[in-house]
Amino acid sequence: MLLPPWHMLAEPARRLTESFSAVHLRLPAESAELRRARDEVAAAGKEFGLEHKACYELVFAVNEAVTNAIRHGSPAPDGTIGLRIEADGDDLVCHVSDCGPFLPPRRKRNMATEEGGRGFAFMSALTDQMELNVEADRTVIELRKRRGERVLVADA
Amino acid sequence: MGFLEVSDDTLEDGVRILRVSGDVDFDVAPELKQRIVGRVEAGDRKLIIDLSAVGFIDSTAIGVLVAALKRLRDAGGSLMVVCDNEDVRSIFATVGLESVIPLHRSDEDAFAALAHAG
Repeated sequence: MLLPPWHMLAEPARRLTESFSAVHLRLPAESAELRRARDEVAAAGKEFGLEHKACYELVFAVNEAVTNAIRHGSPAPDGTIGLRIEADGDDLVCHVSDCGPFLPPRRKRNMATEEGGRGFAFMSALTDQMELNVEADRTVIELRKRRGERVLVADA
Repeated sequence: MGFLEVSDDTLEDGVRILRVSGDVDFDVAPELKQRIVGRVEAGDRKLIIDLSAVGFIDSTAIGVLVAALKRLRDAGGSLMVVCDNEDVRSIFATVGLESVIPLHRSDEDAFAALAHAG
């Protein structure tokens, strides 16, 4: 069997990354904006080549981060929080930022009976990597999702 | 607050079913909570929440369901959730909630489970 050279195998993924345009958004810190945040991540995930399930999970995780920023964070002076979506190799990376200090979740919760406190568990379980960057006047949550291996179908 | 579509119906044996549609996020979860609490305060003890027409549910809405389940159990009642959407079902499974909140594939299944629960 004749295989194409390695640089050609890697080509489709590279081309997709190059064509992906990063999204930088300032969203009013209001719950009515959650839908827009989800729509943006869903569109970006699709364009980036995330599979349906991976895309849905990333949308869910980012929705949690944006919800946290709206509920517990502090918006910028113009009343907004940040949502940045960009490609990093085979990772789609979403940054959700607000201008408040990080407020750690309260004591350990009982997931079976309590109403709140599941946001971080979801974000961590549904992404390939979750990072929390806390600065004096800024809290940023970074959520990563990797797209699957591309299967090469040899020409007949 | 956003707008949530909920219709409610009484089935046989005093079973109340709330059919929810749309995305249930932090914007509308308080409304869902109000509707459920309203039914429990009105005396309903057997409740089915039908999420068949829901494509997205966030952690605050899941929290509302967990709280409703507890509220009903404390009052001697029970709650069943109908959900056939695989995306939504897998979200419940992610943090082990499928063992806390009983998910059924259809209204009939949920109804039968309620009858069984007494």
